[in-house]
Amino acid sequence: MRTRTALAAAAAIVALAAGCSSAATGGGDKAGGPVTLKFLSLAWQKESIAANKQIVDEWNKSNPNTKVEYVQGSWDNVNDQLVTSFEAGDPPDVIHDDSPALAGFASRGYLADLSGKLPADLKSDIPQPAWDTVTFGDGKGGKGVYGVPFLQESQVIIANKKLLDAAKVRVPTPDQPWTWDEFAQISKKLTKDGSFGVAWPLKSPVNKVLNLGLNFGGTFFQTDGAKATVKVGPEEREVLQRIHDQLYKDKSADPSALGMGTADPLPGFYAGKYALLPAGVYLRQQVVEQAPPGFQWITIPPLKGTSTNQGATSQTLSVAADSKYPDQATKFISFFLNSANQAKLAKGDWLLPTSTKAASDPSMTTKENGWDVATASAKNLVVAPYLRVNGFDEWKSKVATPTLQQYFADKITLDQAAKTLVEEGDKVLARYTK
Amino acid sequence: MTLTAERARRPSTDRPRRGTKGRQGRETLILMLPALVPVLVFSVGPLLYGIFLAFTDARSGRNAVTSFVGLSNFGDLLTDGDFWASFRIGLIWAVSVTVLQFLASLGLALLLNENLRFRSFARVLVLVPWAMPPVVIGLMWRLVYHPNAGILNSVLQQLGVIGHNVDWLNDFSIALPAIIVVGIWTGMPQTTVVLLAGLQTVPKELYEAGHMDGATTLRRFWSITLPQLRPVIVTITSLDFVWNINQFGLVYVLTQGGPGGQTRLPMLFAYEEAFRYGFFGYAATLGVAFVIVVLAVLGLYIGRQLREAN
Repeated sequence: MRTRTALAAAAAIVALAAGCSSAATGGGDKAGGPVTLKFLSLAWQKESIAANKQIVDEWNKSNPNTKVEYVQGSWDNVNDQLVTSFEAGDPPDVIHDDSPALAGFASRGYLADLSGKLPADLKSDIPQPAWDTVTFGDGKGGKGVYGVPFLQESQVIIANKKLLDAAKVRVPTPDQPWTWDEFAQISKKLTKDGSFGVAWPLKSPVNKVLNLGLNFGGTFFQTDGAKATVKVGPEEREVLQRIHDQLYKDKSADPSALGMGTADPLPGFYAGKYALLPAGVYLRQQVVEQAPPGFQWITIPPLKGTSTNQGATSQTLSVAADSKYPDQATKFISFFLNSANQAKLAKGDWLLPTSTKAASDPSMTTKENGWDVATASAKNLVVAPYLRVNGFDEWKSKVATPTLQQYFADKITLDQAAKTLVEEGDKVLARYTK
Repeated sequence: MTLTAERARRPSTDRPRRGTKGRQGRETLILMLPALVPVLVFSVGPLLYGIFLAFTDARSGRNAVTSFVGLSNFGDLLTDGDFWASFRIGLIWAVSVTVLQFLASLGLALLLNENLRFRSFARVLVLVPWAMPPVVIGLMWRLVYHPNAGILNSVLQQLGVIGHNVDWLNDFSIALPAIIVVGIWTGMPQTTVVLLAGLQTVPKELYEAGHMDGATTLRRFWSITLPQLRPVIVTITSLDFVWNINQFGLVYVLTQGGPGGQTRLPMLFAYEEAFRYGFFGYAATLGVAFVIVVLAVLGLYIGRQLREAN
């Protein structure tokens, strides 16, 4: 008698523990009834969060049968969070992320292939180079589209207008950009009286250097079928060497800015310590908000090497393969990223919309705050070669980041850096083709 | 009902005790079951599963196929330079935090054992870091170390010790010492409290006898306090060592292993392998390897202490 009660109690505990995981995954699966989608958003700037929530509200009002629940995530740990929720089988239905992360997730089968499911007007509104940033192998030999790209970032230079005028340098236009040589000369010219021509904040150097590397055709990777290897040849060395020269040969770049994150040099920039600040287009937002009154600045279009090409990654919306309502999720994405909404989101994040209609919106082409230059730079964006490299994330954090940091701190030579990037890098990449 | 039957039968059976013993054993087991089940389900089960994973090539992915690979993960481990770098950092971290923490706590415990004013208030104050979760401690110290807005830089600048702001957590050579300081601060309460408790058990007569014999303060500390405290010291330092080498949350919040892997403790390394790069099998191997290392270190250390004590 007592035995049985005790056993029953124990069984109940086990059942309860096991039941917890399955009970949490509900959410109205009655046929035809209202469904709830979870939307994991990584918006972090105030305007951008507001824009996101506003679009979700609009959707919820006009689609009472598909309720979208806004879930706030963070760029800092989103990929760890997603791996665990994918493995647990309970991921958010609609996932905001960026294209470098998608390649890995796609090859592991976590994301739904959207090719053939998206409405034609959305497909034609976004140009092919942007679609290329989300088209990956599925890990089984096929290819698919694993997200809708909507925001892109290009690298521009934010400049102190007063200092440029005082030095009487040519202000470039998107059609006649500065070449890297010109940029080096101008930086030297602007270096005087204790202030520097340029500040390179290179705390996280990898993506910046790889995206700019394409100016000289530097791809950093070569792929042979499924196998990728690292390559640091003359093309790849151009940008590395040029930045290094500015720091240690021309002495036109402030070495104390090296350890800084992108936004950290801003106080010094406002104070005139540096005249030029290479940065992503989104940094304009902080300049607009924080610059002291009367501070005049302009946006300098991307530099030209052998071309003005820059590697592009995109922010994306994807559907989880484990989502119970992939069709509704796809519909929501199509609504969320229509051209009108993209213009709102781009303005909120100070980035470039992929939608061609959104890019021609008057608010995206105004001279105010450099939007015209920023939007024009979208034409320089080509798909970054490292997006297709399985294991790029590990190469970046284990090999490339420490090596490039040491190189830019002048602790190792370019030859040593190149050797480490290739030899250690190939070892890392080999793990992913086993 | 059965109980009475058993009792009635007892005198007539040849081996009465065995039956009762078996029955008692069974009852003990049943009574233990409610406590045992959670332990089995939430501790032993995952542990065994983790050990099993260490011998497979488990990877993240819906289409990943897991197969048994024997000892090949352990082979990879031996030749993995990044792992050994992380292991070295882990040992520097664990040993220096444990030793410095012990020295600082011993000083503090001796102080609090004296008859000072506001002693009980100070004792409560010492416990404050214990009341904070590691993540909160990490966030708090990140503010202290903040290069532009941190209190440390502004104080040092005002004192004229440093000429420009130091980015404590992002400098290649300073980051590890900086987190070690936080580690010491975090672990001091436990160590202090345990040592203080140990100090209070030292018989007063020993000190009086030492006094009579004219032993100096230092001599009394060396010949009375330390030997009397020895079992406590062995216990708390070995526990601290295990806690420190397994530290994760604090460092994850402070530096996430950066800059360039300079503070990538072994547990962060294993976490990255599993949840960032998706190699679950290899990460499990790392975990098993660490259990072995910790057991070996503790076995040597405690074994030696016990032998000396005998």
